Amino acid sequence: MMNLNFTEVNNYKVVQIEGRIDTITAPDFESGIMNLMSDGVTKMIFDCTKLDYVSSSGLRVFLMAQKNISTNKGMLKVCCLQPSIKEIFDISGFSQIFTIEDSIEYASGS
Amino acid sequence: MDNQDEIRKIQLVNQLDQLETISRFLDELAEAWDLSIPFVMKLNLVLEEAFTNIVNYGYQDNETHEIVLVFEKQNERLLVSLIDDAMPYDPTIAPDPDINLSAEERKIGGLGIFFIRKMMDKVSYQRMGSNNVLKMEKVINP
Repeated sequence: MMNLNFTEVNNYKVVQIEGRIDTITAPDFESGIMNLMSDGVTKMIFDCTKLDYVSSSGLRVFLMAQKNISTNKGMLKVCCLQPSIKEIFDISGFSQIFTIEDSIEYASGS
Repeated sequence: MDNQDEIRKIQLVNQLDQLETISRFLDELAEAWDLSIPFVMKLNLVLEEAFTNIVNYGYQDNETHEIVLVFEKQNERLLVSLIDDAMPYDPTIAPDPDINLSAEERKIGGLGIFFIRKMMDKVSYQRMGSNNVLKMEKVINP
């Protein structure tokens, strides 16, 4: 199960990801993010405080978002990874690709 | 605890919704064998990647196929066997993705198999008759 909650902080669209992004839920995550992009959102924070699980299907969407936002000269920050999710980011080399912050305040520069 | 309790088996079919069955089964296993949440998460990740690969790429017909998972607890180690009758595929010899590339250069392919090798302590593959047998091993840690 996965839920996305959207808020806004300092001109950043904050996407709070709750639950699991796996093969089953990744398409919903992708369409949620694609909707924001087609609305012209270029500054985003993925708040992963409540993200409990991510597989390669979910990471594919993270990468897609990063590529898309870079192309549009925007900014994507990933915030508040749980230790086991951080480990997956480290192993996959995603820790070098993404700007990872420890708090929403820091990520949004407020 | 008698020997019977140290082996658990689950029979699945080649459909992606079975991933939920795997997750639920792992939760039960965690309780029975006192496995930590991070350990089970890694196990779930590895099994999702392996299972999804088989379902998405392993079959050329539209038939239902059985996929079996066997879990064995041997003292401080957990052994998992994944048995399927998909076409021969050895994930232990798949090339590693280049994890040092930038976002622009990065491709997602191969990451799933890479996780299997990185998360488990030992991974071995055998083709036995018409079956792929993937054996994985990991020390049970907190």
